[in-house]
Amino acid sequence: MPNATSQNGTVEDPAAPGVGRTRTVRFRVKRCDGPGKPSRWESFDVRVAQGEGANILACLQRIAANPVTAEGAKTTPVVWDAGCLEEVCGACTMVVNGRARQACSALIDTLAPNDGDEITLEPMSKFPVVRDLHVDRSRMFHTLKRLKAWAPIDGLYALGPGPREQPARQQERYAYSTCMTCGCCLEACPQFRLEPQPGRWDTAFVGANAIGQTLLFNEHAIAGELAPDRLDEMLAPGGVSDCGNAQNCVKVCPKEIPLTDAIAAIGRAATIHGLKRFFAR
Amino acid sequence: MSEPRRVIVVGGGLAGLAASARLAEQGLAVDLFSLVPVKRSHSVCAQGGINACNEVARQQGFSEWMHMDETLYGGDFLADQPPVYEMTHWAPKIIDLLDRMGVPFNRTHEGFRDLRLFGGSLFKRTHFAGATTGQQLLYALDEQVRRAEAGGAVTKYEHWEFLRPILAEVDGATRCVGIVAQDLRTMQVRSFRASAVVIATGGCGLIFGKSTNSVSCTGAAAARCYLAGAWYANGEMIQVHPTAIPGADKCRLMSESARGEGGRVWVPKTKGDTRHPSQIPPAERWYFLEERYPKYGNLVPRDIASREIFDVCVNMGMGIGGENMVYLDLTHKPREELDLKLKGILEIYEKFAGEDPRDVPMKIFPAMHYTMGGLWTTFTPEERAADPVMDRDSGRQRVTGMALGATNTMQTNIPGLYALGEVNFAYHGATRLGANALLSCIFDGLFAGVGIANSARDEAPDPASLAADVFDAPAKQEQDRAEALRARARAGAPDPEVNPYLIAQELGREMTDASTVVKTGERLEQALGKIRELKDRCARATLADASMWTNQNLAFTRGLSDMLRLAEVILAGGIERKESRGSHYRLDYPDRDDANFWKTTIAEYDADADAPRISYRDVIAPMVEPRARTYGKTQSAPEAVRQPETPAPAAS
Amino acid sequence: MPDHDRPAPFMQRHHFLLRRLHSLAGIMPIGVFLMSHLTTNSSVVWGLVNANRIPEGHAGAGTFQHEVNFIHSLPYLILIEVFGLWLPIAFHAVLGVYYATTGRPNHARYPYQDNWRYTLQRISGYVGVLFIFYHIATLRWGWTFLIPGGTQWEAQYAASTLAMALQGGGDGLTTPGLLVSAGYMVGVSLLVFHLANGLWTAAITWGLTVTARAQRRWGLVCAGLGAAMMVMAWSAVIGFATLDPAQARLAEEAVNRGHADPAHVEPAEILTQNPEGGRP
Repeated sequence: MPNATSQNGTVEDPAAPGVGRTRTVRFRVKRCDGPGKPSRWESFDVRVAQGEGANILACLQRIAANPVTAEGAKTTPVVWDAGCLEEVCGACTMVVNGRARQACSALIDTLAPNDGDEITLEPMSKFPVVRDLHVDRSRMFHTLKRLKAWAPIDGLYALGPGPREQPARQQERYAYSTCMTCGCCLEACPQFRLEPQPGRWDTAFVGANAIGQTLLFNEHAIAGELAPDRLDEMLAPGGVSDCGNAQNCVKVCPKEIPLTDAIAAIGRAATIHGLKRFFAR
Repeated sequence: MSEPRRVIVVGGGLAGLAASARLAEQGLAVDLFSLVPVKRSHSVCAQGGINACNEVARQQGFSEWMHMDETLYGGDFLADQPPVYEMTHWAPKIIDLLDRMGVPFNRTHEGFRDLRLFGGSLFKRTHFAGATTGQQLLYALDEQVRRAEAGGAVTKYEHWEFLRPILAEVDGATRCVGIVAQDLRTMQVRSFRASAVVIATGGCGLIFGKSTNSVSCTGAAAARCYLAGAWYANGEMIQVHPTAIPGADKCRLMSESARGEGGRVWVPKTKGDTRHPSQIPPAERWYFLEERYPKYGNLVPRDIASREIFDVCVNMGMGIGGENMVYLDLTHKPREELDLKLKGILEIYEKFAGEDPRDVPMKIFPAMHYTMGGLWTTFTPEERAADPVMDRDSGRQRVTGMALGATNTMQTNIPGLYALGEVNFAYHGATRLGANALLSCIFDGLFAGVGIANSARDEAPDPASLAADVFDAPAKQEQDRAEALRARARAGAPDPEVNPYLIAQELGREMTDASTVVKTGERLEQALGKIRELKDRCARATLADASMWTNQNLAFTRGLSDMLRLAEVILAGGIERKESRGSHYRLDYPDRDDANFWKTTIAEYDADADAPRISYRDVIAPMVEPRARTYGKTQSAPEAVRQPETPAPAAS
Repeated sequence: MPDHDRPAPFMQRHHFLLRRLHSLAGIMPIGVFLMSHLTTNSSVVWGLVNANRIPEGHAGAGTFQHEVNFIHSLPYLILIEVFGLWLPIAFHAVLGVYYATTGRPNHARYPYQDNWRYTLQRISGYVGVLFIFYHIATLRWGWTFLIPGGTQWEAQYAASTLAMALQGGGDGLTTPGLLVSAGYMVGVSLLVFHLANGLWTAAITWGLTVTARAQRRWGLVCAGLGAAMMVMAWSAVIGFATLDPAQARLAEEAVNRGHADPAHVEPAEILTQNPEGGRP
């Protein structure tokens, strides 16, 4: 609130320059009180100013401060997951207007430019709902553990420099290394399915992100030592051969990671690894 | 073989993960607590790079000693020197280690690690992985901790909130012997025993409302340690990053690397020039940083750049279109090079501002970014012979570093309670140099981890030997605190007077306005009064959610109460420090005052007054004498500024 | 519950091998057979070029009869059929249906072209299995009760009986016959799509096309192949659905009697260009 002694100019004031007319945006939110509880839809009207740069999370914050539905019913604040708010942590992934994406980069001026426009929010459907828009993605981290997604270095002591690497190879690895485990590729994948039971995680399809990570680690001089172990996992049920080539993963990836390239490359490596294993046994 | 001693690490960012990996390697069992899955910690947001002396820079005249000197100079000599000495001398080894872990550092044609220029240095000494270096380093450490987790040495408690340290009298001294934490899904509150507790919870950006920080950076964990008796040092030292993209929910960082790779900051020379930036010829652009700082140009330290932008926009009214914005221009660089080195941040700008910064200059303004102050920590100095290679520019025979493995390394004033990374006050003094944060966090974890392991193994009492009540009582208190909040819950919007979200907004606005780029004693006092009012209202805050399952409303309100206590520390420190030093710039005391304030501010919680008590400790400075911190500033060039409809004088 | 004591089920132990064999079977022998089968069957149209060598009746039908005669002259035909065709098709079909049921098509939410093909690949698989079963059961195994008009397909009158089977009898196209012909049209079209798209995905599965550009390039090749096969498939179905059985019978008898041989070309014949078309 600007006052007589304002000295550091906050950008919060509604009269801030560049901020235009306000309008009402309706949010239809699929809510659920917890695992095993039924889902329901609630609507909220949120005032948004043109040009203020509001995103879905800013609107959810406004709903949290004023948890009253469009019909005037008092309710609880919507629960959601968020972190960096700049699309590098992956936390705020949800289904916005039917499509998996990060809520932080979903700008209201783009999605709902006119007064009365509607935006629907749903939790991701491929992971168990914790509450409302917040889901449990621990399966993705479990898969990274199973794939030994690390470099088996000798320890944290100073043992000299790492391997030299050509820039082309670094660029290739970097692309896969920007994967933020958000789960968009899995949400959009027709082959990846909700598996609430951790006991079935190791035989159900691992999905594109895991295949991309397999390539990332197999391509590194030290991490690549574990490539045969990772390829064993890729040959197992739920491995790379369960991919159905719908290629949605690469289209919804917010980091534009060439996931389908990884699927093909790992498919090739798995074929060779499978043949080797067949003849070596 | 007996069970290994357990160490609790709170926070899974770079510092917490580095500490966890080190402690696991040392044979300890680690319980790692984090509000978020550790791979989503705020360290992912770091963009530019990580500083370390390297072979190229060394052959150009750089050294570890100079890295230390730059860091101290940048921090306006407020940092204790031995930790900075040790950190800068470990830096090259840390880069090597990260390289072995598989961090995809950008490479030269020949396959060596590429380097970029960064603020506060005249040498290229910053290693980087695109413009998402923090993300890449975090992932590398996350992978190593996952490896330790798979081996059974680390147990993760993700979506758990640290509520307080547990203190106990052991052999006549107060020690930290565990923590109380809450599972944010089941809302279960319970205590955990440990031989040592490491706090690595980062900064407190959310106290300032819109900052560049993640939503988990509330500072509540640090506040809870402070409320339990830990000292909070240099709270007033808050870094405002000069280049951020203002938004409705936060200000998104536009990395210093944009300037490191050649980005230029300018405003139109004509006040209120409304032409499109590409229509403004170079002669009619005022590159004010380059003119005022011919040597460092756009790469002066952040506090200086922020103040200059502030001066140009607020004092001179020269911001773009009269608004508080300046241009950060990369359009003169080839697209391919930009994509190779800066893609990550350019995409952020493109997504959130809707314009391609490869074609159109970015519009930016300063925003709260980093917490130099933090929990006070100590160390054991170690005097040794200067290294002829690393210290060749020092002109000294003897230097003072930190003793590796000392059990008090980065220990707070409470034995058994350690603070690592951004949450402590070490290393950065009154301003942090760009690309030193990642270094300090990883160094802290790796270096202090050894001492913490020694402490847990050799010094600490076996927590199993302590009475159950030591742990049950604080857990019960936290349970009651949560219940009390829940008891006030009712669905729907609370009265604005007691609406926790609105109180938080008011806090953010007040702190941003009173205590960021420029401060005055009067305004700080006024803000302190406002915080007291907010504290009172927060004590009566009404929740809208009474549920016992994933109640974010409750966690938010509880955190807000602790954030307000930390806000008081920041303001009180600012009021008492009657000088200008680094990021702390007082209009009413514009000069540095070494005689009275070359000292570390210590805030101690006075429970009776529910307010901080401020005292000072001498800065430990055995090596470098303070000198004027000018960065070669020349007289600014207001004569180059054109008034509308006035013929242009030649640009200088 | 993981079963630590019992060995994993067969399908799990050989998961990757079965997936790859499934892919392989679709190309070889099934895909290769489909191409040759469509070449043969579309001869009812392209065989018209042999009009000068088949004097009586419909030259396309005659050419087709000639092709069929060749196939039926192969030794151990039944073994080739069982082990080279029916079993691979059954293997590909059973596994394919099982694999398809593990997915949940979502083209409504993600209406990308690739995703549509994912869905269509599965639909074409399901329909294809039914179609192939009907096709083999009615024409090869003689389940005539499934054919309107009850025509029994006979190898020595391959074209005419096939035409009758498609048309619902020998008296022109009936309504049930139209349904059968339309069913054939749909069935073969889906199978051609299934093969062309399967070739495209197989190249990714096996890791031949690793980059998006390579995949696009190979996609053009597959689309071209698919288009060519589609032309053959449609011409075959339309050709038989409109073939006059009586005209076909004339040509068949000529070929069967040895009075016409569309494959046999004598140099002299080319030179003399007998305008009557018949052989001396």
